[in-house]
Amino acid sequence: MFDFALLWEARELILQGLWNTVWICFLGCLVALSLGLVLAALRLSNPRLFGYPVACYVELCRGTPLLVLLFLLYYGGPSIGIRLDAEIAGVTGIGLYGAGYFAEIYRGGFKSIPKGQLEAARMLGISRWHALTRIQIPQMLRLIVPPGTNQLIILVKESALISIISVDDLTKNATTIVNQTFSVIEPYLAVALLYWMIIELIARGGYALEKRLANRQPRHVTPKGDPAHAHG
Amino acid sequence: MPTADTIAPRAIVEAHGISKRFGDLEVLSDIDFRLDSSEVVCVIGPSGSGKSTLLRCLAFLEPYDNGSVYIDGQLLGYDQRGGMRVRAGERRIDEVRAPVGMVFQHFHLWPHRTALENVTEALRLVNGLSRRDAEAEGMAMLERVGLAERAGHFPESLSGGQKQRVAIARALAMKPRVMLFDEPTSALDPELVGEVLDVMKQLAADGMTMVIVTHEMGFAANVSNRVVFMDQGQVVESGPPSILFRQPRSARLKQFLNTWRERHID
Repeated sequence: MFDFALLWEARELILQGLWNTVWICFLGCLVALSLGLVLAALRLSNPRLFGYPVACYVELCRGTPLLVLLFLLYYGGPSIGIRLDAEIAGVTGIGLYGAGYFAEIYRGGFKSIPKGQLEAARMLGISRWHALTRIQIPQMLRLIVPPGTNQLIILVKESALISIISVDDLTKNATTIVNQTFSVIEPYLAVALLYWMIIELIARGGYALEKRLANRQPRHVTPKGDPAHAHG
Repeated sequence: MPTADTIAPRAIVEAHGISKRFGDLEVLSDIDFRLDSSEVVCVIGPSGSGKSTLLRCLAFLEPYDNGSVYIDGQLLGYDQRGGMRVRAGERRIDEVRAPVGMVFQHFHLWPHRTALENVTEALRLVNGLSRRDAEAEGMAMLERVGLAERAGHFPESLSGGQKQRVAIARALAMKPRVMLFDEPTSALDPELVGEVLDVMKQLAADGMTMVIVTHEMGFAANVSNRVVFMDQGQVVESGPPSILFRQPRSARLKQFLNTWRERHID
C-alpha cells in the first residue's frame, strides 16, 4: 500500500529541504534571541524612554500572523525598495517575529530577580551595566530556559510558513514530491518525522542546559591547595 | 555649598531636616541625624516608624524629599546648580556614597555566585583587582566573619546566619567607613541570631562606625553608644542606652519598652 522506496528516490529534495529549514531556523532563532534580549534590556534599563516602543513592538508581533509578516517582507518589500531573497526574508521574518516573544520571555525572567540584589550591587558601587551583565542577565537566562525552549520549538514549527513565500524548505519540498509522485502520505510523514527530530534535539538541549545551569554544587576553593574543605 | 569644615569636622554621616513622603503618607518628617567616627548607633521603634526608610535615605536608596544628607561633608544624591538642587548623576551618587556599606534584612546575596564570588565581585568590577588579588582579599573577609571554609558554597546551601555573614563580608570588602544595617537579624531563625550579632559586636570593637536598625534590645543596650527611638516618622528620643532604656522620658518610648518587656518575659 505505502511505497516508502519513493522517499529514497526523492532523497535529494528531502535533504535539501532539511538543510534549508535548519539553517533558516537557526539564523532566524539567533536573530530572535539576540534582538529580543536587546529589546528587553533597553526596556529594563530605561523604561521611560524604551518602555512604550518595546511594548508596541511586542504587541505588534503577538497581534499579527507570521505569514502576513512574511508576505509583507517578501512581496511588499520590493515596492519600498527592499528586495530580499526568499530565504533571507524567511530569516528576517522569523527573527523579527520571534524577537517580540523573546523580549517578553526575558522580561519575565528579569522581573523575577529580587530588586534587593540590585540595591546591594548599587551600594557596592557596581555600575548599571555591570549589574545588568553580571547579575541580572546570568540569572535571567537560567530562569528562561524552559519557556525559551518552548518558544524556539514554536518558531521551528511555524517556519513551515516560509514554504508559502517559495523557500525550498522541508514543507515545500515535500509538496513538490507529492506533486511529482502523487503519493501524499509518505512524503509528508517523512517530513513530519524530520521536524520532530529537530524539535526533539532542541527539547533535549533545553533540558540539558537547564540541568547544567541548576548545578550549584559547592566548588573547590583551595587557595592553599587543601581539597578537604570543598564539601562541608 | 557647605564643606566638611563648616558643618562638622568629625561627622561621617549628617542629616539635616530630611523628610520623605510615599504619596500621602509622610514616613519621615524633619529628621536630624549625626554620626561621628567609631560611633555605634542603634535605631529602634515600632514597625512603620520610619527607621528603615531613614537608613535607606542615608544611603540614598530612597531619595529624600527635603533636607540634606552629607557623607563626609559631601551632599548625597543632589547637586547644587545655580542655586537649584538637581538630582545628581549615578556616578556622582556612587562616588559620594562610596564610604558607606550596607547590610540588608534579606541579605540580597547573588544566588548564582558562590560565597567567595559574592565578596570578590565588586573588588574586581569596581576596584579593578585581579582575580587572584580579589580572591585573597575575599578569603580574608570571609575569614573575618568565620566562613572561610564555606567560600565555595552557593548561597542556597548556606544557613540564614551564614548568608548574612557573607553579606557583611561582601560589604566589608569595599572598606567602608560606615556600615548601615537594616534589621540584619529580623529574617533569621532565633538560634542563628547570635552568630550575626557576634560578628557585629566584633566590628564595633574594631572601631567600625555603624548604624543599626534593630529589634534586638539587648544588643542595642550592650553594644551601642547611642540609641535613637523613632515613632511615626520622627525621632522621639535619643541618648546613651543606659539612660534611654532606664529612664525613658516620653510616654511613647515607655510604652514601646513595656510592650517589648511583656513579650520577652514569658
